[in-house]
Amino acid sequence: MANARALDKRRKSIRNIRKITRTMELIATARYKKAMDRAQAATAYTEQITRIVGRLAAAGLDVQHPLLEQRDEIKNARVLVLTSNRGLCGGYNASILREAMPRIREMKESLPNVDVDVSGKRGVDGLAFRGVTIDEKHLNFEDQPAYAEVEKIAESYLSRYITGELDRLDVIYTKFISTSKQIATVETLLPLGSLGDDTDQDDAGGTNVEYEFLPSAESILEEVVPTSFKVRLFKCFLDAAVSEQVARMIAMKGATENAGDMIKQLSMTYNRARQSQITGEIMEIIGGVEALEG
Amino acid sequence: MAIRCIVVTPERTEVDCEADSVTLPMYDGSVGILPGRAPMIGRLGFGTLHLATAAGPQRYFVDGGFAQVEGNVVSLLTSRSISVDLLDVGKAEEALEVAQEMPASTPELAQLKDTAVRRARGQLRSAR
Repeated sequence: MANARALDKRRKSIRNIRKITRTMELIATARYKKAMDRAQAATAYTEQITRIVGRLAAAGLDVQHPLLEQRDEIKNARVLVLTSNRGLCGGYNASILREAMPRIREMKESLPNVDVDVSGKRGVDGLAFRGVTIDEKHLNFEDQPAYAEVEKIAESYLSRYITGELDRLDVIYTKFISTSKQIATVETLLPLGSLGDDTDQDDAGGTNVEYEFLPSAESILEEVVPTSFKVRLFKCFLDAAVSEQVARMIAMKGATENAGDMIKQLSMTYNRARQSQITGEIMEIIGGVEALEG
Repeated sequence: MAIRCIVVTPERTEVDCEADSVTLPMYDGSVGILPGRAPMIGRLGFGTLHLATAAGPQRYFVDGGFAQVEGNVVSLLTSRSISVDLLDVGKAEEALEVAQEMPASTPELAQLKDTAVRRARGQLRSAR
């Protein structure tokens, strides 16, 4: 039987770890709620944009823009991988990297010039370990990505796309579907393909109001397209942030439960060890007394 | 009858209030909105949004985007909106200088520079 004191020590340390994981779980839950609220606020914005696009289409404008068109020859492509800065979030980063690696390899084989940008320390380390050279690193995104910062990145991509230094942009991130389901996905953001965030535009034809366009429908379209790209990129960052918190919440919940089970088991072994130690001591005393009497 | 003015940024709803009249900084000049205006969708420029509310005038700097007028609701979609009191003249001047130093050797770069200069000028105007 193991040493009772060693068992007690181990039990204490597990108890401390359980305290930490439980706190982390609570923090992740709070952050998840906050991140979720932000994601919903962004949805209000994207819905408005979708509505405006719907109105433009209803006004008979042919929706065409350089950002929407597929280029014939793709020379320079870029991949943006969104990971987390911190660990202890289960399989969150691993699943992103698992999705990213084959994609990057495949693109490098078929396209002449592929650069990889990464957001998050974990992704930087993970890709460097797998031998991928990283061009740009963004380490300033935590659980609440700021639009101003995402916009800066978006603008640099846009200006490179317009000037022809970039022909295609893929973003690899974790899409948040529900609290129990997040999938690592690849999305091509440049060229945009379609406007309107692939939601059904059933509200577009609902109202029969004639709109006045100031200064003109074309001018508005010129602005709508880059804006919707920026908002989509922002949505990717928000989704990634929410998914990270969910993953951490679940991982820490599991850790706390496991620690509880372990403590239970250790307590049982400890009690047994203690009991047998006491029995041993009593035997010794009785043996001593009997030796004295004899 | 009052107008409801809503300013939405991707992060949150910045302003949601009632106003007697709204002046929007459009791409090519200001537009005043009074109750009962015909429906409109417009492109915003970089400038100051004036709200005449019962509690007094309010001014916000708006960083491009769109405005939609429908019924008596004016909704603005913009990437950034800041109360004018919080703007800093020094920073705006700095931004203008940076924008003016940008290269303009190709039509695309010239266009980017133009936008940056217009944004900085709008910010400076609002800050003053």
